[in-house]
Amino acid sequence: MSRLEEKLFAEYTTFFEKAERERRWNVYTDIPWTQVNREATEDLALCAETFCSVEMYLPDYVAGGINVVRKYFGQAWFQANWGYEESKHSLALMQYLLRSGKRTEEQMMDLQNRLFEKKWDLPFHTARQMTFYGCVQEMATCVIYLKHRERAAAENDVCLKTIYDYVARDEMAHTRFYQGVIKVLLEEDRPGTLADMAHVFANFEMPGVGLVPDYDSRILKMRDAGIDRSVFIQKIYMPILKYLGVSRHEMLATQRTALENRADARAATAVAGSILTA
Amino acid sequence: MSTKIDTLDMFKTVAARVDKREFQHLTRESVITDLGIDSLSMMQIVGEMETELDVMIPDEDLVELVTVGDLCDKVEARLGKTV
Repeated sequence: MSRLEEKLFAEYTTFFEKAERERRWNVYTDIPWTQVNREATEDLALCAETFCSVEMYLPDYVAGGINVVRKYFGQAWFQANWGYEESKHSLALMQYLLRSGKRTEEQMMDLQNRLFEKKWDLPFHTARQMTFYGCVQEMATCVIYLKHRERAAAENDVCLKTIYDYVARDEMAHTRFYQGVIKVLLEEDRPGTLADMAHVFANFEMPGVGLVPDYDSRILKMRDAGIDRSVFIQKIYMPILKYLGVSRHEMLATQRTALENRADARAATAVAGSILTA
Repeated sequence: MSTKIDTLDMFKTVAARVDKREFQHLTRESVITDLGIDSLSMMQIVGEMETELDVMIPDEDLVELVTVGDLCDKVEARLGKTV
């Protein structure tokens, strides 16, 4: 095992030990299912259904994610554990939708069938870029779940609030693992890791975009409890950089390159689109 | 002696460089999100303006930026009102 692999494995064992000791929860016994508010609004259910939908691409996330880090023992094993935890998230949200009476089993089966008409593909193709993508995505997801926890509380739905509590805590733990790995990678190759971070920030999209049916109309319902520019800067961009010990000024050079590449790619796509429609 | 710096003009120049498009018609009242400038581009614009002017805006101030004028105000305040 190389020095890098040893460090990555240490990150995993730290994560896993803490998860086993402090963070495990049971979908069937730890959620107050009797405290579902059946009178809560449809918006609340629609948001839960959208999160559930995004989580349901788990087979694609696991297959893609684990193969890209396969040769890094610690990270590959993390992905296996991550898959287990994420499966609980979709299961808990699915149970909520059924037990609240907001959706029937037939509706959930129909949704699943529609979801699997599309496949999630890796947004980035190196282990380091995917690690940082995981870091940003998990942090963003945590922020969104925390906002929806407050929304559920405001609608007096103790059950859904509790689900979001557990899920957000898991997402934060995942973020911390990814951040730990990125710290190790920064020690190994700071310029290269910074470049990958800038590339991922510049091209980041949440995983449901373009996949979940009616995603745009769902997002409109979720916008109040979503992520706008100030939330992204305050709750995601700045905290991630701070945790990693990277100043925003250190990001400037690589970020400039990443933004230029993105602008060029968009311009090329626009030109290609205009040729096709001409 | 103070040097007059047109922060709005500087914003247009830096934004054009970062986003590779022109922003000639924007004003201090222009809302940043309406200009199609995303979070990351905005962070880059702020960082490049800070570097060029040798000022530093506190991180906590950056979340309050709604209009282009908000940023210009922050920069001008850091320049010690020499504009």
